[in-house]
Amino acid sequence: MGKSNKKILVHKDMQSLTTNENIDIIITPQFYTFLKEELGVKFAYQAKQIAPSLFDDYLDSSKEYQFFVYKCKEYWCFFAYDIDEISSFLEEKGVKKYQIGKIFFSQELSNSLDEAISLGDDTSLKSIDNIVTILPKRLMGVEYIYKDLDLKNISLNHGVSISSSFGSLIPLKQTIGMTILLTILGIIYIAEGNRIKGSISDDEQKEELLLSKNHKLSSSRIRESILAQYEPIDSVERVKRDTIEDISKLLSIKAHLKELNIDDKKISALIEADTATINQIIKNANKKNLITKKEGGKLVRVERVL
Amino acid sequence: MNLMLLKRFRNELIVLLATIFALYAFFYKNSTDDFVKSKEADIQSSISKINRVIELKKVWKSKTIVKKINVFKTIVSKSKLESFKRRGQKVIIKYKGLNIKELNSVVKQIMNNPFQIVKLKINQSAKERYRMELICKW
Repeated sequence: MGKSNKKILVHKDMQSLTTNENIDIIITPQFYTFLKEELGVKFAYQAKQIAPSLFDDYLDSSKEYQFFVYKCKEYWCFFAYDIDEISSFLEEKGVKKYQIGKIFFSQELSNSLDEAISLGDDTSLKSIDNIVTILPKRLMGVEYIYKDLDLKNISLNHGVSISSSFGSLIPLKQTIGMTILLTILGIIYIAEGNRIKGSISDDEQKEELLLSKNHKLSSSRIRESILAQYEPIDSVERVKRDTIEDISKLLSIKAHLKELNIDDKKISALIEADTATINQIIKNANKKNLITKKEGGKLVRVERVL
Repeated sequence: MNLMLLKRFRNELIVLLATIFALYAFFYKNSTDDFVKSKEADIQSSISKINRVIELKKVWKSKTIVKKINVFKTIVSKSKLESFKRRGQKVIIKYKGLNIKELNSVVKQIMNNPFQIVKLKINQSAKERYRMELICKW
C-alpha cells in the first residue's frame, strides 16, 4: 500500500499549520459550490463538459472556477471551486502550494456527519439531507455536543490531484501536450536515423562483392599503387591516340602527311597543302588546341605537347 | 524537501526529460546522417577506385596483347616489313614503302590496341609511299 498524506479539514476558522510534509486537504462548503443533478450522461467527462452551464446562476462571474464531478449513486455530484482562493488561503495558514497533494470535498463525509462537528467558535459542519452544510453554532443550541471526527479512519475516493499544477510554471495539459509532441519527434528522429543507417548496407554489400571477386585489391595501398602506375600511362596514351585522330581529320585529298613523330615529350605532324587549305588546317587545328607553325609556303607543322 | 521540490517541478522535469530525449534523438539522427554520408562517400570512392584499377589492369596489363603484337607481322606484305624485333615486353617494328591504305591499317591497329607507344616515326619516302618506325611496349 502506498503511503497516504495526512488529511486536513480546511475551513475559514482553522488554525495555522506548521508542516513541511505533503498534505491532502478536505475543503468545506466555504470553498466550493455543490450541485447534485440527475443527468442522462454515462461518463464523467461528459458531465464535466456541461458543468460550467449548470453553475451559471450560482457563481461569481469575476472569479475563475474549476469544476469537478463524480457519480454519486443515481446522481452526478458537481463541484465548482476557485483554486486560487483555496491556495492563497492555505498560504496564509502556512501551507505551501506544492505541499498540497489532493483536494477532497467534505461532501464525501456526508455519512460521517449525521452529527455536527465544530469548526471553531461560530460554525459547525453537518450533513442535512445528505448534503454537507455549514451551520452557525447559534442554530445548534448551547447544549449541543459536537462530535469529534477522526479523518485518519475515513476513506475518501474522489479527490482532485492538482498539486503538480500548483507550483509548476507549465500547466498539466501543456505538459502532456509538449511531452507527447517531443516524444513523437524523438521517435521520428530515431527511426529516421536508423533508416539512414540501414541505407549504407547496400553500398557495403556492393563493395564486399567487388572485393570478394578481386581479393588482391582489398588493400587500399595496393589499389593506390596500381593506380599510380597505370593512371599516367592511361592518360598519356589516350592523349596520343586522340591527337593522332585529330591530325588525321586535318588530312584530305588536298592535304598530305609528310611526317609524323611521337615520342615521350610531344606529338608532331608535318602536313603539306596549298595556301588556302593550310589556312583552313590552322583554323581547324587551333580549334582542337593543337599548336600550329607554318614551315614554308606549303608546309604546316601541327603539335601537341604531352 | 528534495522530493517535494521534485513534485513541485514535476511538469518542468517531464518536459525537460522529453526535450532531452528529442534533442538526443535529433543529434543521433544528424550524427548518423553525417556518418553515413561520409561512409557512403568513402565506399563510393573505394568502389570507383576498385573499378578503375580493374579497368586499367584489363586494358594495360592484358594477357592477350602478345597475340595482337603478331598482327603487325601480317598486316602488310612481308616485303614491306623491314624488321620485327621483340625484346621481352617491347617490340621494334620497321616498315617501308607503305601506301596510304596500308599506313592507315597499321595506325588503326596501333590506335585500337593498348600498346604504349614509345616512339612512332612516319616519313614520306616518295609520293604516297611511307616509312614507319614503331617502338611500343605493354
